[in-house]
Amino acid sequence: MSDIPVFILHGLAYAGLLFLVSAGLTLIFGMLNVLNFAHATLYMLGAYFSYTVVTQMGGQFWMALILCPLMLFIIGALVEWFLLRRVHAYGHVPELLLTFGLAYIITELVKWHWGNYPLAVKVGPVLESTVQIIGITYPVYRIFIFLCAVFVGIMMALILYKTRLGIILRASVNDKEMANALGVNIPLVFTGVFAFGSALSGFAGVVAGPLLSTYPGMAHDILIDAFVVIVVGGFGSLGGAMIASLIIGELHSFGVLLFPKLSMALIYLLMVVVLLIKPSGLFGEKS
Amino acid sequence: MKQKSKSLIIIGVLFLVSALMPIILKKYHLSMLTEIMIFALYAVSYNLLLGYAGLLSFGHAVFFGMGAFMTAIALVNIPGLSLWNAILISLVTTIFTSIILGSLLLRHKGSYFALLTLAFNSLFYAVATKWREVTGGDDGLAIMRPELNLGFTSISMTSLTNFYYLTMIVIGAAIIFCWYFTHTAMGKTVLLMRENEERMKFLGYNINISRLILFTFTGTMAGLAGIFYAFHFKFVSIWAISVDMTTAVLLMVFVGGTKVYWGPILGAFVYIILQNYLSDITARWPLFMGLIFVIMVLYVPGGLSGIITSIWQRFFVKKNHNAGKASTAEVVTS
Repeated sequence: MSDIPVFILHGLAYAGLLFLVSAGLTLIFGMLNVLNFAHATLYMLGAYFSYTVVTQMGGQFWMALILCPLMLFIIGALVEWFLLRRVHAYGHVPELLLTFGLAYIITELVKWHWGNYPLAVKVGPVLESTVQIIGITYPVYRIFIFLCAVFVGIMMALILYKTRLGIILRASVNDKEMANALGVNIPLVFTGVFAFGSALSGFAGVVAGPLLSTYPGMAHDILIDAFVVIVVGGFGSLGGAMIASLIIGELHSFGVLLFPKLSMALIYLLMVVVLLIKPSGLFGEKS
Repeated sequence: MKQKSKSLIIIGVLFLVSALMPIILKKYHLSMLTEIMIFALYAVSYNLLLGYAGLLSFGHAVFFGMGAFMTAIALVNIPGLSLWNAILISLVTTIFTSIILGSLLLRHKGSYFALLTLAFNSLFYAVATKWREVTGGDDGLAIMRPELNLGFTSISMTSLTNFYYLTMIVIGAAIIFCWYFTHTAMGKTVLLMRENEERMKFLGYNINISRLILFTFTGTMAGLAGIFYAFHFKFVSIWAISVDMTTAVLLMVFVGGTKVYWGPILGAFVYIILQNYLSDITARWPLFMGLIFVIMVLYVPGGLSGIITSIWQRFFVKKNHNAGKASTAEVVTS
């Protein structure tokens, strides 16, 4: 089994991607208490924007890495400001349905504009090359994805636990009314978090495009995995999302190696087992 | 008492009208009406979860698809299986599935519950796609409608008219039974649990068991709709168990409105007709579906039935009489 290191690395790359998507999802859930069905659609939008920037406008890949999250940040802010906020008072069901309808609209518009077939994005010579690691030749790009996720994870942890902004965010998660009474502008925090989560998702999309290719089904493909990540890791827990991404990334990778037919079911099986043993997820607080 | 006789009259009139439909309608429209009836039951069962119990499920297609697939699998694998036995096998499987899933999932509420049901829907979809030997995978399963054996005589189900009458009787009875269920003590318990769970606990009701019974009941009804779906189209594809099928019922219920019992039926009616005509005109049907979703959520949270009820109350109900009656009606149905 000399392939094992390769599969571990493959798992790490996918785990990185999963973390980038689910971190935003779990943050939004923890803060706004909204399960954002459109989250993966924004990830897809990020990938398509990057295609436009790199392939159609002849830009560099690093430009897409900066520009696309910015665009998604604006889109996220608009969605929260003009749509989500209006139904917030009516409770969870309308919010869920709204993001659900939004996911449909965006997917269909993407199919309309970019077509229904897979697109490829060039990432430039450095990222396309391979590198020698622990005796095997491995593509740089997958390592790059993992490093991106590590970087984002560390930055998020630093912001959440070491800055004044982090204190405001954690206070708002804990007790919105109290934070509001103490002078925190909760609606602004909500918009900011939603926009930041969307930007993160868009960033994940840009990174995912060259690896998995850009196609209209990519949102649905990662959405369920990201949902499983936040169920297993615990709703609203960033550390949980990190660990669960790693577990599911590796499970995904080794599932393909060991049980090709069952690889999809393995992930759900893990979820069922976690639910039976610890219904709130590995790191979740009691629901 | 007056309320009861009024409902009986409405049911009787609806029955007569539906019974006359095969004479009036062309074959294409009769087929559409059959489809509407099947989806009406599916939507009504979903509304028992969403409207009455306040549980947002994204996995209702599991039961619908389970009913449809079990019917097809049983008919394909057991030669000479009678219609009743096919229904029985599928219903029993659906009931077991609902009990198992319900006991796993009902510990959670709100968004958690929505998410988990979605994950389970995806799991079942994945299984149906991969397990080619049994489900036919992407190719689906084609079946023939068996004869209806009434003991003394058997009726061929190949003609649409005969099948329409069977659907009308069975599905109609199921819809009426669901309505009856909401008026039983059990149905009221579920309603009150949604309003104040803590208080119901203190009053000595077993929340978990009541929820599980409701979940199983709605699952079974969705399964019955799925069985007739399989019979109607004589074909079951993995679409029947996909998340899209859940989305479809969600849209029906939401368009129709969750506040009154007939809302989802109206929703199914509108949805099937819209789908049939819009998909002829445009291939961008999901875009319209998404737009309808967003517009309904933003501007018409009560659904079409909400609009109709408010118009009705405005013009046809006397003002002074209105106040008391509206509030009692709300407690019972909303």
